[in-house]
Parts: sequence; C-alpha cells; structure tokens
Amino acid sequence: MLKIDRRTLLKSGAASVAASGLATPLIAQSRSLKVGSYGGYFEDSFKSFVYPEFTAATGIEVESVTQPNSADWLVTMQQAASAGTVPTDISLYGRQQMIKASRIGGLIAPLNVSAIANASNLDSYFVFEGPEGPQGVGAMSWFTALVFNPDEVETPASWADFWDTDTFEASLGLSNVHSSGLLDITSATFFDGEATMMSDEGILAIIDKVREIKPNVTLWWNAESQMEQGMKNGDVIGGQYYLDVANLMAADGFPIQPTFPKEGNLQDYGSWCLSEGSEKSEEAAEFMNFSCDPATQALMSRNIGTAPLVDQSATDLTDEEFAFVSGSPSIKPAYEAYLDNETFIKESWDKMLAES
Amino acid sequence: MTVADDLNVAADIPAKAAPGLTRKGALYGVLTALMVVFCVVPFILVIVISFGRKIEGAAWVWDFTFENYQRFFVGTLWPDEVTFLYLQQLGYSFYFAIIASLLAVLTALPFTLLLTRLKRSTQAIWLVFILSSLSMSEVFIVMGWDILLSNNSGLPKLFQVTGMTQWLKDVGWFQTLRDIGLANPRNVKFKPSEFATILTMSYLVWPYAVILLYPALSRLDPSLSEAARTMGASRWTVIRTVTLPSIRLPLMGTTLLLFVFLLGSYVTISVFATPDKQTTAVAIYSNIRGSNLNAPFGSAQAVILLISASICLYFGHLLNSKAEAR
Repeated sequence: MLKIDRRTLLKSGAASVAASGLATPLIAQSRSLKVGSYGGYFEDSFKSFVYPEFTAATGIEVESVTQPNSADWLVTMQQAASAGTVPTDISLYGRQQMIKASRIGGLIAPLNVSAIANASNLDSYFVFEGPEGPQGVGAMSWFTALVFNPDEVETPASWADFWDTDTFEASLGLSNVHSSGLLDITSATFFDGEATMMSDEGILAIIDKVREIKPNVTLWWNAESQMEQGMKNGDVIGGQYYLDVANLMAADGFPIQPTFPKEGNLQDYGSWCLSEGSEKSEEAAEFMNFSCDPATQALMSRNIGTAPLVDQSATDLTDEEFAFVSGSPSIKPAYEAYLDNETFIKESWDKMLAES
Repeated sequence: MTVADDLNVAADIPAKAAPGLTRKGALYGVLTALMVVFCVVPFILVIVISFGRKIEGAAWVWDFTFENYQRFFVGTLWPDEVTFLYLQQLGYSFYFAIIASLLAVLTALPFTLLLTRLKRSTQAIWLVFILSSLSMSEVFIVMGWDILLSNNSGLPKLFQVTGMTQWLKDVGWFQTLRDIGLANPRNVKFKPSEFATILTMSYLVWPYAVILLYPALSRLDPSLSEAARTMGASRWTVIRTVTLPSIRLPLMGTTLLLFVFLLGSYVTISVFATPDKQTTAVAIYSNIRGSNLNAPFGSAQAVILLISASICLYFGHLLNSKAEAR
C-alpha cells in the first residue's frame, strides 16, 4: 500500500512540477529571440537595460548570445550555416563585416523594411542595401577617440601631436590591425581623408606617415583589454581607444581622458542583421523597430555609452549626456578601400610594422 | 627452468594469442580510426585549404593555386615588388624558439643536477611542485609576467621607488636604455622587448626541461665522477668530460622537444614581442581568424612552418645518430 501511495504521490508531484515549470517557458518560447552582442560590459548593459524594456513592450523574450566584434564571427556563422544551425537570430555587425557577410552570401537574410517603421528615423545610409535588398538596420554608433593620460601630458589639440617624439617617445598605444582606423585618422590629419585611401599610392603615402610614429608607440595592441591595461598601469600615456570605455574608465578614476582633436575622431557603427535560416524574422523586425525608436537610442546612449544614430533633437538626451557619447567632427572609415584592396593594404601595413 | 620448459612456454603462445588477436585487432582499428579522424583529416584539410583562393572583401573559395606559397616567399605584389616579410617572421619563429629552449635547458640542467643529489623525499616535493606548475596555461603565465613588468605594478615601479631610475639618469646610462628600447622618457620599460619575450618563453618551458632531464640525471652513476675527481680532474673537467657526454642524448632530445613546442607560441609573442619581431604563428592566426579571413594564406604559412620544423628535427636526429656512431 505504502509503495503505491508513494508512487502515486511521486507521479502527481512530478506532473504538477512539470506543469508549473514547463507551462511558462512554453508560452514564452513561442515569442523569443536570440540576439548577439559583443561580450563583457557591453552585453551586460544590454541584458540589464535594453532587453527588459523590449520584452516589456512586445512580450518577446530575448536570449543574449556573446559574439565578437570581428571577422571571427563570420567564420563561426559560416561554420554554423554549413552545419544547419543558427547561433543567433540577430547579430550585431560593424559595417565592414556586414558588407563582407553580404558578399560571402548565405549568412544574413534580406529584411522586410516595411515592418520596421521606425527605420525612417535613421539616415538612409544606416539601412544597408546588400545584393539581396536591405540586409542591415543601424543599431548604434561608436567612436574610436584620441585618449591621453591627463597626469602626464597636456590635452593634445591634434592627432599630429602624437608624432612629436619629445613628448610621446615610446609611450603610445595604437591598434596593430590595418583596418582599425589609424590609416583613416592619419589620412584625415595629413592628407585628404577618404579620397587618399582610394589609391595604392595614397595608401603607401599614408603608411609612410604612420612609419614616422613608430618610435613613439610602445604598445601595438590587438585586443581592447591590452590597451585598457596599458593605460591603467601607466605603460601607455596616449593612443586610440573607444570613447565609451574611456569615459567609463575615467569615471572610475583611472588616468585616461578622451578628447576630440581638431581633425575629429573615428566613427563607426553597428547594424542588426537577421541570420539566414532564422525562423524569427517577425520578432527580429519588431526588435529592430524597437531599436530605431529615438527613446531606445537614448536608452542605449545613457546605459551603454554608444552614440545615437538619430539626431540629438529627436531624443531627450541633454547636451552633457550627448557630449559623453558623441562629438564632432567625425572621421568615417574608408570601407570601400578596406574591402576592395584588402590584401594590398594588409601586406603593406604589416611590412611597415615589421621593419625595425 | 629447463630448456624444455622454455620450449613449452613458447609453444603455448600461439594457442593463447588467437582470441587475443581479434580483440587486439579491434583495438588497433579503433585507434587508427581515432588517429584518422582527429589527426590525419584536419591535417589534410589544412594542406588542401592552403591551395584555396582569397576573394577581396569577402572570404575564400576552394581552388588549386600556388599563389599562397609564392606570396610567402616574395609577397603579393611579385614580380613588381618583393617582400621577405613572411620569411622574416619564420626566421623570428626559429630565433625565439632556439634561444628560449637553449636558455631553459641550460638553466634547468644545473638545477636538476642539484635536485638529484637531494634526499628522496625532498626531491619528490620539488617534482610535485614543478609538475603542478605545468597546469598553468600560457595565458596565465603571460598575464603574470605582464603585471610583473608593468610600469605601475612591477619592476619599473621598483626601479623608480628605489631611486634606480634616477641613478641611471644621473650616470647617463638611461639614454642608452632609451636607445635600445628599454626606457621611455619617464622610466625604464621592459615590454614589449626581446628580453621579456625570451624570458617568458623560457619560463614557460622550464618545468618541462626539468621533468625531461630528471630521469636521465637521476640515473647518472655518481661513482664515475667521484672516480674522475680522485684521479685529479677538476670539477669543471669532470662536468665537461664525464657528466655532459653521458647525458648528451637526453639533453639534445629535451632541447629539440622544447624548441618544437615553442615554435607555436602565440600569446607570449603577441603580447611581448615588438611588431618587427612577430612570428609565423601570430601571422597565421591573424590571417585565419583576424579581420581579413584569408584562411588559404594562413594554411600555407602553417604548412611551411611545419615543413621547416620537420627539417630541423631531421637534422637534429641526424646529428644525434652521427654522435652516437662515433
């Protein structure tokens, strides 16, 4: 008797647990979305501030996926696509990676822009037209800024100050990746900006100029964290770094300060792209629509430190808040040159770095 | 045991071996399959991809072209322009690996010799300690040295607070340090530099050196060197003519093993080496997973690195057997 009792008890218990435990996720699962974003602080802020607002507004649960901000992610997506899986429904791509993804094909799906009414708030430049129609909607923008250690040097007025060996000998931290902006910055400072980047001769002239800064560079970083450590522990007293992270580090009391020199800082932006093979295109459109809302753009600026893709006047950001995440002038990367002349630029750049 | 018994035993063997053979066969089959899946296939894949073709602004496609190999030796602009960038990187791969493995073996040798003369129990404690230090990954070790060599938290800070930096400036040696890249106008700096790279690489393999040398050194017969000493040989002569020749083989083997291990080091080089001394391993990564997605060229570099390492090992082996024959 006891046995049967216990068994029935266990059965009914298990059934009720299953009912209570499974019922809720089942409903939520019918409306959910896997969204990728760059890990660490960036993704955490999305999880704490942006996704909950989206879920509250639409009832769609967001499952956050960590993805890198580099071509790495394209490799992962390619492998996943050939294995027939989709790691995310929406991924976040920089413009260069997005164009690459559209050229590779089979990675990002065309979007139904009519379902993303708020996209009209954005400049049409931020809705990316790929070979298969619209394939990306601008998410947020970020700056690579001139940063310096205010305890050691005066505020530089121009990027050209970094070429001054008396002040910066063996003291700068710059990125060692050819496409991470130093070429664009150098071109904007000493040449004709994007126009110079379009020819081989122009590229070589810019690289010659970069060669002159080499004695001043102590850290050629390839991971963001290297530059962060370098500034924190005083190995580096100036260089290029992300405006939002620099501001956050400064707020934490570390000796770093970003500034907008007269040539400006490098501005890039990220786009939401729908993964090919995702069955959540409707939910994705709702998410992109939510993201283009000026209120969401302001929410991201306040909590993540990214620059809005809509006019400041459309948001409720104060001048002070806006200055924290954005500024002018802005230097635009020469995307076309990086894509069409990739091998030449990389090899010339690597050669310059490898000279002793 | 008589001869007859021996014969009996020998006769028993085939009868017993028959059922074992199938089990053994199955085991060999599984092992071969594992080898094929986990070693041979990826290896062939790398070779095949190395003949692929990169598409500007996108990824790469399967193809059969020797362009990637040509680029390794003369650069992408050949014949208009020639660059030996990739050969230079290969050169530095060898340079760092050779120096760091030699340094590790040369410093581990006296340590291990002293270790073998300690009490058994003390030896065991040391060996366990050294073995456990092997569990630390390259990333951990590089991070540790990175902190130890940092301006505000490491050696340069020590130089500053003890007045060494000021002293160096006063006697005028500071300028020399600046000239060779070991100082900025404010303080000494130890990274990035060849010094930090080689130090960290040797540190990385030092425990392996001790563990690989230990068995050979602990089997050394102390009576040999004692005999030499009683016959009037100096301590140095004993080491040179008795100890070193008798451990020549393990010494060579250890150095070669560490050398091959260090050829592929990535984290140490990318953090501590200056951009003009980057190695093939770093270049491979930046081509395959970096911003330009050029897996074919990365694979071609990997194949060439592998071939060069094999040639080195072959010559090492040749040298060894020649020495043996003498």
